[in-house]
Amino acid sequence: MQTIKQLNALTARIVRQNLTNADTIITVIAMPMFMLLFFVYVLGGNIATAGGAGSATTYLRYALPGFLLLTMAMGSAYTSLRINNDRTSGFLNRLHSLPIPRWVILGSHVLASLIFMLLAELAVFVVGLIMGYRVHATIGSVLLFVGLSMLFGLAITLLAIPFSLKADNYASAGGFSYVLLMLLFVSSALMPTKGMAKAVQIFADHQPMTPIVNTARKLLDHSVSLSHNTSIIAGIWLVAGILIFAVLSYRVYAKMYLTK
Amino acid sequence: MKAIEVNGVTKQFGALKVLKDINLTVEKGEIFTLLGENGAGKSTLINILATLSAQDCGTVKILGLDPIKQGNQVRPLIALNAQDTTFDAEFSGLDNLKLIAKLRGIQNIPAAIDRVSRQLDLTEFLARKVKTYSGGMRRRLDLAMSLLGDAQVIFLDEPTTGVDPKNRLALWQMIEAIRDAGKTVFLTTQYLDEADALSDHIGFIRDGVIVKYGTPAEIKQRVTATYTITVDEQQVQLAQQLLNEAHIAFTNTNARFNLHADVAAKAMSLMLDHHINVLHYDRDEADLESVFLAINDQENNHAND
Ligand SMILES: Nc1ncnc2c1ncn2[C@@H]1O[C@H](COP(=O)(O)OP(=O)(O)OP(=O)(O)O)[C@@H](O)[C@H]1O
Ligand SMILES: [Mg+2]
Repeated sequence: MQTIKQLNALTARIVRQNLTNADTIITVIAMPMFMLLFFVYVLGGNIATAGGAGSATTYLRYALPGFLLLTMAMGSAYTSLRINNDRTSGFLNRLHSLPIPRWVILGSHVLASLIFMLLAELAVFVVGLIMGYRVHATIGSVLLFVGLSMLFGLAITLLAIPFSLKADNYASAGGFSYVLLMLLFVSSALMPTKGMAKAVQIFADHQPMTPIVNTARKLLDHSVSLSHNTSIIAGIWLVAGILIFAVLSYRVYAKMYLTK
Repeated sequence: MKAIEVNGVTKQFGALKVLKDINLTVEKGEIFTLLGENGAGKSTLINILATLSAQDCGTVKILGLDPIKQGNQVRPLIALNAQDTTFDAEFSGLDNLKLIAKLRGIQNIPAAIDRVSRQLDLTEFLARKVKTYSGGMRRRLDLAMSLLGDAQVIFLDEPTTGVDPKNRLALWQMIEAIRDAGKTVFLTTQYLDEADALSDHIGFIRDGVIVKYGTPAEIKQRVTATYTITVDEQQVQLAQQLLNEAHIAFTNTNARFNLHADVAAKAMSLMLDHHINVLHYDRDEADLESVFLAINDQENNHAND
């Protein structure tokens, strides 16, 4: 019971830090919103996503799920920044001197990261709804989409931990998130891979983001055709990512903070 | 049972041996001060005692428990106030205190916060965001965060650094009050007057070992007394020359010459023989400053041998 209270208190602290910090809100929520508006209303009409001429409406229907994952990826930079701040300020040391189960300390950062990513995702989703996006799927499928988001969020949160603990300062702690963004840009997230240069297309089709985004798109829109394999590949990437990054995070953390 | 027992503790970072062989015991209910210069290893030792890092060799016991193997039992009994202040600057002082109170599982949180805030003279600032606090206020908030709860052994790593003289005195009184409430205080400082004023026992840490241990009075006794010879301003150069020729070690500020007891008499007769006008010849009261210098001198002499 006391452990749950401690987890709550620490998680609430970080969520509050995120929600009351202008930088964080601008980068993780306002920026993806702006990109969504820009891509849909400026570029969207020129991007053919469903065969034939493109339009803002078809583009929005195609790209919103990708923007939702992009929003989460932006959030991972702040996951890393918050942990790094706590390490360099000595706050993690303070926590480790208190009677708190060890797993709660970074566990609260992970939980807060997931909550914040989902909140940011929801905010961008609402903007998408206002712009005219409609879900064409069952409730169950939407819940699966939320589940997929959580797995994605967990994977990139766990990826953030080693960087956050190793980085000398907050400015370099979030650097890895650019790689995530790059992977999303060079995937089917914002446009189909078909029109990409051949070499890029091969990369895009075989990196993790493409099956993950395609699965997300399908879960919100049943009219999307998707080979059965895609969602399995997405699942494998996510689970493998979570396991690998969890082990990596634990190792780095244990070396720095566990005395046993 | 002792509050703290440290036996043969060593710790190195890479090739740097920071703690070489630390042995000490701290009795329950006393203020123990670890005194040492920058980089002597004070924080390194405190981190080991406070369960944050593991020693390479040796054993540590906090109230009979091993901080590594029994960390979960040790942590409720201790409180650490680290050298660097840590709080959320964007939140109010009250929010910072509330967080720690929740983490410590304190039952009556408002009462506990009220108590430490009074103790540290913070009550009127509690509602303000910490980023608007002055340095001294931050330090006091940081201490208040550490003192919440009912820890028996309290580690204070240079708590008065950056605090003005008036508040420093208030902190000293507070530290004594903690001791008087039956708790054990493990303090580190670079300030000799602080160690002298507060401690029941002092340990000097230097080059990875405790080079001297004792009560402030004992330590004063152990120091070889020094003498000050004050000569006529016109004859300073001549006096310097005489002492140098006789290979007598001294330091001087203008006409005041500082000498160890074992050579003071010789210096005195030398000066009188050469018709130097000696105005004063005084035995100096030993303070921790000279203890510190004496130890440093000894160490330096060994190094030069
Ligand atoms: N994690 C670490 N990695 C490498 N070196 C370290 C580490 N922690 C401390 N040191 C080194 O160990 C030595 C002792 O440091 P420590 O912080 O214990 O000194 P201190 O007595 O607390 O000094 P100060 O009065 O300046 O706080 C220093 O030379 C420091 O650079
Ligand atoms: Mg220190």
